[in-house]
Amino acid sequence: MAEGFRLRVCFHKIGRLRFLSHLETGRAWERAARRARLPYAVSQGFTPRMRLAFGPALPVGTAGEREYLDIALTRFVPVAEVEHALHAAIVPELGPVECRYVSPVEGSLASRLTIAVYEVEIEGGSPQQEIERSLVALMGTGRLEVEHKGKQKVFDLATALPKEPEVRSSEGRTVVRMWVRMGEQGSLRPEVFITAAVGTDRVASVTRTDLLIEDDQGWRRPL
Amino acid sequence: MANDLWPQVEKLLGRIERPSRYIDGEWGVLRRPDAAYRVALMYPDTYEVGMANQALQVLAARLATIEDVATERVFLPWVDMAGLMREEDVPLFTLESCMPVADVDLLGITLSNELTYSNVLEALDLARIPLRAADRRESHALVIGGGPSAHNPEPMAPFFDAILVGDGEDAVLEIVASHRASKARGASREETVRALASIEGVYVPSLYSPGADGRMAASAPAPARVRRRVLADLDAYPAPSCPVVPYADVVHDRATVEVLRGCSRGCRFCQAGMVYRPVRERPADSIVRDVVEGLACTGFEEVSLTSLSTADHSQLESVLRRLVGRLEGTGTAISVPSLRVDSFTVPLARLLGDGHKSGLTFAPEAGSQRLRDAINKNITEEEIVTAVDQAFTAGWRRVKLYFMIGLPTETDDDVRAIGALVSRVVSVAREATPKAERGGLRVAVSVSTFVPKAHTPFQWDGQLPFSDVRRRQEMLRDAMPRRGVELSFHDAESSLLEAVLARGGREVADGIEAAWRAGARFDAWSEQFSLTRWLEAFSSIGIDAGEAASRPYAQDEPLPWGHIDSGISEAFLHLERVRAEAATTTPDCTFEDCTGCGVCPGLGVDNVIAEGARRG
Repeated sequence: MAEGFRLRVCFHKIGRLRFLSHLETGRAWERAARRARLPYAVSQGFTPRMRLAFGPALPVGTAGEREYLDIALTRFVPVAEVEHALHAAIVPELGPVECRYVSPVEGSLASRLTIAVYEVEIEGGSPQQEIERSLVALMGTGRLEVEHKGKQKVFDLATALPKEPEVRSSEGRTVVRMWVRMGEQGSLRPEVFITAAVGTDRVASVTRTDLLIEDDQGWRRPL
Repeated sequence: MANDLWPQVEKLLGRIERPSRYIDGEWGVLRRPDAAYRVALMYPDTYEVGMANQALQVLAARLATIEDVATERVFLPWVDMAGLMREEDVPLFTLESCMPVADVDLLGITLSNELTYSNVLEALDLARIPLRAADRRESHALVIGGGPSAHNPEPMAPFFDAILVGDGEDAVLEIVASHRASKARGASREETVRALASIEGVYVPSLYSPGADGRMAASAPAPARVRRRVLADLDAYPAPSCPVVPYADVVHDRATVEVLRGCSRGCRFCQAGMVYRPVRERPADSIVRDVVEGLACTGFEEVSLTSLSTADHSQLESVLRRLVGRLEGTGTAISVPSLRVDSFTVPLARLLGDGHKSGLTFAPEAGSQRLRDAINKNITEEEIVTAVDQAFTAGWRRVKLYFMIGLPTETDDDVRAIGALVSRVVSVAREATPKAERGGLRVAVSVSTFVPKAHTPFQWDGQLPFSDVRRRQEMLRDAMPRRGVELSFHDAESSLLEAVLARGGREVADGIEAAWRAGARFDAWSEQFSLTRWLEAFSSIGIDAGEAASRPYAQDEPLPWGHIDSGISEAFLHLERVRAEAATTTPDCTFEDCTGCGVCPGLGVDNVIAEGARRG
């Protein structure tokens, strides 16, 4: 994606559409860009494809409030026009949140987005302090062994969770906010951590609320 | 809206594969929450298979023209989801409003092929609708079938209140109007279906029973023979330009525009080539308009120009040229389902952007000229070889060839001739390919087993007995060249079942129900299919399935589909069968003279050729 204009789209994936896979989400956005008649660039070769690049995949069933994609355009279209066209070309549950042009030479979203912020809603009315104590206790052990698809994996919690989880309670809802580091070895799934801390069948929902770039100045949004 | 099941469905979605099958919410969904009348259109297979079905898109678009009617999609949940639904007491639901299927006014079910029959029973059971029409009460949805397999409706007849034979564009509106009128006057279920029987093309099974002579006898007001419904002119019905755009990777994940209906080539094994007559081409302007509108509305990256034989369209090259011009630089591919070798030209194939990627597909069907003449395929070995030579000279490196074994009059020599033909194709392809590129050369050979079908010249023939099918498959394996050839056989066991279900009468219905009760469903999915289960089910009701598949019908014997009038005259079919025996061919009536099949005078229609004449 080194030529033309690189448009970065922040979008959400909410409601029923949280059940879409990463591949399905990609196809849906490609078709939305066609319907919106954006001046998208296509790759060379026998089977020219739209040049779209996405951030890290969301697990099927997890909602996302600020997901990202980059799309290469062959000519400049004002952001307000792009947003208007995209809103009219995609279902609201997968709609754009904001768009902006970024440098065409910037590293890919997948490589630059390394911190994911999650909110995990916990079922059952345990007091906030009790949940906090469970989380602190688990963090204190320093490591978590996880089995995923038959494979054992050990996470160093200080690396996997670069910030202490926070617990909030209001109107009978208890929500844990977590900051998870994503790396080449994969990332710790928030519901796995919460289940290890407070027991099974307690996770009501998981939402990825933000994706962040980590650099010399600290953490920031890619837009 | 009545009884939204979504909260219950949502709870199951974290526990099953591919939840996007069940969530609705795609682009292009039409919602009418306050509609006075609700139709559910079901394809009895998974979402991925059913969403590819054009007929349901056509019917949904037609029904959408009535403002207070809502149309909802229904597919059969995969076994994991069906298991959970039974466990958690969730009935079969529609996608759009997630309401119980049992609560709609009309449930339309596509009968697209015999291997989905057990799925129809599975769906009715999940929907909690009594399997048999006779057991349904006033409150139950009206269950109506239609589609290619409706041309022999008997094996599924007891499970339907009515079955439409033929084109649905107009009939579906008449069926809905008739049902609404019946409801308005408080008619009983029996009165309702009697009213449907007066609509042309509608077969009401409960009004027919076997007479003393073995033929199905109609009771008033049903006609003695149900005449196939046929549209005179396709151009009055635009292709649905804004169908639902799936998220999931469905079978044919692209926009489709039907460029013509019907085929007059007259292949004697082909049911579609008989029962969709006459040929009705849509003019180039309409096709281009529908493609452009469809792509703009859906955002698909590919469009397929569909029909039984797209390359026969009198204006195809001009359509392709115009589309290639308009779609240049948009990364949009144009495809056609398959090509006949005698209509293949390099310029034509070059216009199909997808050509290099997917290779070309030809269907010689038989290996020897004698057998190709017997089935009226009307292509010569030289035409096959020339097409392959041209394609590989022009840069293609893959070709796929379709053959059948078990065709009537076939001998062992005909089977060996397939191997000889493929050998010749491989050597021609090699000659036409530069030495350095020969490693990537592939000839894929796909071999299926012939299934005799109703309303064809081979309707009296039985299927080749199963043991002979196996023997000829082995013989073909030995006769096939190894290098550069990928040989695959379509499952002969499911072809046996297809034959039983395609050529049987109403007695077969009990076997279908018994097989479903024994666990049969998704028979088109090899990992779910069990021939043993079906053989045992048939044997439990006193039918020997092998015998039912292979027994020929005598010329004077009543055929189970005798009360269905496809428009083709029985005398023509018989004459064609005699010509097959003599390996005499019959020309295509859109290129040469009328062949006297009977469709045009019988149904009051004519071939519609967009540009006056077809290339000869």
